[in-house]
Amino acid sequence: MPESNNTAAPATEPKMLKMTINGKEVEVKEGTSIIEAYSQHGMSIAHYCWHPGLSVAGVCRLCMVEIEGNPRLQIACNTAVTDGMKVNNESEKVKDAVKWGLDFHLINHPLDCPICDQAGECGLQDQYMAYGKYTPEMAEKKVKKHKVVDLGPRVVLDSERCILCSRCVRFTDEVSKTNELGIFNRGDRAEIGTFEGKPLDNNYSLNTVDICPVGALTSKDFRFRQRVWFLKEHNSICTGCSTGCNTRVFYNKEGLFRIKPRYNKDINGYWMTDTGRDAYKFVNKEARLLDARVVSNGRGEWIAPKLAARKAGEALKGAGKSVALVVTGQYMNEEYEALLSYFKNEVGTDRVFHWINNPETFDSFDGLLARGDKNPNTKGLLAEMAKQGFTAQWRELAEGLQTGAIKTVVVAGPENQAVFPDLKAKIMELSKASKLVWLQAGKNDQLEALTGDVTLIPLKTYVEKTGTYVNYAGIAQKVHKGLTVVPNALSLVEVVALMKGEELPADDTYNQVGLGRVHNEFTMVRGTL
Amino acid sequence: MAEVKYLSEHYHKPEYRGLAGYKANGGYAMLEKALKMQPQQIIDEVKASGLRGRGGAGFPTGMKWGFLPKNGEPRYLLCNADESEPGTFKDRVMMEKAPHQLIEGMIISAYAVGAKKAYIYIRGEYMGPAAILEEAIAEAKKAGYIGKNILGSGVDVELDLYLGAGAYICGEETGLISSLEGFKGQPKLKPPFPAVQGYLKKPTIVNNVETLAAVVNIIRDGGQGYRKYGTEKSAGTKLFSLSGAVQKPGTYEVPLGYKLMDFINNECGGLLPGRKLKGVIPGGSSAPILSAEECMDATLDYENMAAKGSMLGSGAIIVIDDSYCMVDVLSTITHFYHHESCGQCTPCREGTGWVQKIVHGIVHGNGKPGDVDLLLKIADNMKGRTICALSDAAALPVLSFVTKYREEFEYFIKEKKSKVKGTQIYAQLNPSEMGAH
Amino acid sequence: MFQLSEEGKAYVKSELARYESKQSAIIRCLYRAQDENGGWVSPEVIEHLSQLMDIPAAQIDEVSTFYTMFNQKPVGKYHVQVCCTLTCGMLGGRELTDAMMKEAGCKKLGDVSPDGLFTFSKVECLGSCDTAPMLQINRDPYTESLNTEKGLKLVRDLRAKGGK
Repeated sequence: MPESNNTAAPATEPKMLKMTINGKEVEVKEGTSIIEAYSQHGMSIAHYCWHPGLSVAGVCRLCMVEIEGNPRLQIACNTAVTDGMKVNNESEKVKDAVKWGLDFHLINHPLDCPICDQAGECGLQDQYMAYGKYTPEMAEKKVKKHKVVDLGPRVVLDSERCILCSRCVRFTDEVSKTNELGIFNRGDRAEIGTFEGKPLDNNYSLNTVDICPVGALTSKDFRFRQRVWFLKEHNSICTGCSTGCNTRVFYNKEGLFRIKPRYNKDINGYWMTDTGRDAYKFVNKEARLLDARVVSNGRGEWIAPKLAARKAGEALKGAGKSVALVVTGQYMNEEYEALLSYFKNEVGTDRVFHWINNPETFDSFDGLLARGDKNPNTKGLLAEMAKQGFTAQWRELAEGLQTGAIKTVVVAGPENQAVFPDLKAKIMELSKASKLVWLQAGKNDQLEALTGDVTLIPLKTYVEKTGTYVNYAGIAQKVHKGLTVVPNALSLVEVVALMKGEELPADDTYNQVGLGRVHNEFTMVRGTL
Repeated sequence: MAEVKYLSEHYHKPEYRGLAGYKANGGYAMLEKALKMQPQQIIDEVKASGLRGRGGAGFPTGMKWGFLPKNGEPRYLLCNADESEPGTFKDRVMMEKAPHQLIEGMIISAYAVGAKKAYIYIRGEYMGPAAILEEAIAEAKKAGYIGKNILGSGVDVELDLYLGAGAYICGEETGLISSLEGFKGQPKLKPPFPAVQGYLKKPTIVNNVETLAAVVNIIRDGGQGYRKYGTEKSAGTKLFSLSGAVQKPGTYEVPLGYKLMDFINNECGGLLPGRKLKGVIPGGSSAPILSAEECMDATLDYENMAAKGSMLGSGAIIVIDDSYCMVDVLSTITHFYHHESCGQCTPCREGTGWVQKIVHGIVHGNGKPGDVDLLLKIADNMKGRTICALSDAAALPVLSFVTKYREEFEYFIKEKKSKVKGTQIYAQLNPSEMGAH
Repeated sequence: MFQLSEEGKAYVKSELARYESKQSAIIRCLYRAQDENGGWVSPEVIEHLSQLMDIPAAQIDEVSTFYTMFNQKPVGKYHVQVCCTLTCGMLGGRELTDAMMKEAGCKKLGDVSPDGLFTFSKVECLGSCDTAPMLQINRDPYTESLNTEKGLKLVRDLRAKGGK
């Protein structure tokens, strides 16, 4: 169960209660439920309907515990801990109740695990292995319900697999507050669903798939693509906007397959947006620039990125104010630090411009997680620019290009091109410079078709490097390198080193933690991974 | 002591239904008297009377009222007129014959517990009684018994009628509250209990029709006076709904503690000629059945029924004679609970369906050798595991029928036909194939 | 597209103001709309009420599918709901249903008879066990103390009345 790793101290210390769980003495805060006590102390307890981010439903009846002095078993999710309480879920009485509880869940559940997408991460499978009774006695026909129900643009429902835990309904009622889902009919005919013409279509719909303990709700994007046990997990941060939701990315050697949220009390709780989950598509090879492209005299060739960076650096050294740098809020603090100080000190220019991708909606917020600033690190960029004393206005760039005062433009372009609606226009505008060096991870036909003096250098994406993002609220979060998708791609730190004429360390230290390069002004480093 | 007319004293008079007739027979005098008492005095009288909830659970009414917070927080009084426990129809009779008796009892009770708003939750099928009640409420409003400053006392109580729409579970008090709030009638988790957090999260008291009507008599005769009928632990009279294999089915008021067999043989005219008693369900379909032998010394009170492992419940007595097949009778009961489970809690949702399939399998000649024991195991594991008592209510008849008439079940499984000659077999119905719903 | 009558809309408005929360008006408004829609709650009815009452459609549909008195498919002029639970089941409710359905020309529960007059449903205990077997037509007061003969006569009488 996810735990907050950065609990802020509350104003008044709550009273601590002593209790005994399965013979072990523990302390919990007053107001804690028994199931929370189990989870806080890493003790296992069967449950489906309880979810720490949702209201208590108390309907799966699995989290049964025996409380000393109470002849009836109680559910742990709706029972508050009292001082001196002794609970256990290891007695025969509890085990028997849980076994039967699981059997009741399974009697109408199809045993189609071999073709079910949830297999491998299924609550029903896991809990049955742990607590089940292994001697099914149900010999009657199962209830028939709807299969492959299209709930909305991203989610598919298999009603027969549904165990009616109501987590998804509570999510749309309590979290997204969009009320699309309901449980219709009653008894064992009850089914989750939407009202026709009112699909599950909100930017948080895939959270219902995450919290579905069985294979009833599946993601259209992910279903049937991979068996989950063939995927590796890596902790990361969503770079889809300035909120910085904590995530887990799932990958294999072919690339990323999906992204799921990871609990962080201060940033995203348990949830993330659907659009944030698309932030794996631009990472994968088919969307990437694989090598550097150098065009001169109308002739283009693909060369090794390291070579391209070195060559570009030779031309930039001491070039002064004829060089302009255009930079997006898509990169890490460590990269900004290297890049900006290089331009100030070695290139000798203060013509550094912040490219704001969507000025009209930049400050908007959907009230839950999604912010109009579709960059993970605008805050970090602005801080570094201020530190270096860069104050140039965008208008000066246009003027410099017009007058010819700016001859070379270096662009640290978007990693996530989809959130840059003005990309096409900017390419057209910036390619007016007599020399253009464009650094970016993704491939772009328009850039590759440019015919002037152009250098394109492929960059790494957020899962391929280590560094820090600062979210809208000033919370610095560090991500570590998880995998390599494009072996030749470089981080901006590496690009700068090469431009300076340095050699890259063979051991990839630029991408490792503890290099001593990770220092920033945001002392409150929270949500460190 | 045989049949008494205590609550039902004037039920035989058609005019008692209207305000004029009700008043002519002493109606609303007790409201006047009560309004001159302190609320706590009324609660004390109700406590002293030993009145226990007449809806099924038999919880002491005064004690329930005592659970309300002792502050000025707004609160509600709800009357449970959802009467839907199979076999029960006494509340309908009361509402049809004496709507003002219920209204008077409710206003007195609302005053006692400090509720300024009260609702009668009536099941949707009871359109007849609902119309009678609406008319009576309008009359009482006009006459100043409902509304602001009732009879110049400064007490305000509003009363409205709320219609259900077909769901047994709304008779469970928190299911009723969910329904009144406009949602599916699904029971709520306890704690919090309704007296602390009920309708719209405000303290709420839910009482049965008969319970609230009895408050009028308690005001008239005092708590001790009310005890002139009944036993120490089961005070007063009770209206019983008697149906099934008897000569004169109907609603009868008898003192608690009355002998079951006397009731059947005297008030109800006995069994049909040539029939032999096989069993009696004493408190609505969820009460464990009593075998003929157990019936002989049974008395109609909470303690005797509990001693016999059954319950007085809503006072719905269903008499079954030897012409009925117990497997078939149980099949209508299991069908009922399968149909009515709200579907929230897994053991009930799945267990009611499982049990129903097995019992109907037996009736259709598809019984399997282990079915009887399996039924007992399933029912046993449906008990005490859910938010409300529906799961228990569904399990108890299974346990009692199968245990007490086991040989009928075994016979049916083995011979693929009923032990009772002439038993007709009906098509097995899925709840979703029962009609237009 | 289903629309309530002007009086129906006014009724919805007054019901919305009647209770402490507007959701509490759902059941009565569904009854009203069901009546105006010829006896059943179609998806258009839900859609219309959702707009009129400003309550999510899924929430109204949850209520409509939970409570059995809201019909989920078209019904005949007389929706005959025969009690078949316990006492009524013991005392002939099921034979009565079969006989009446045959007389009315209904092949299956829930079907509308060819003349459009009848739909039969088996329902759970209606709370009139002393007059078993018994039934309810639409939402009218009960028809009680029946037997097969009386049931058949009832169908014939209704046909004579309803055919006009």
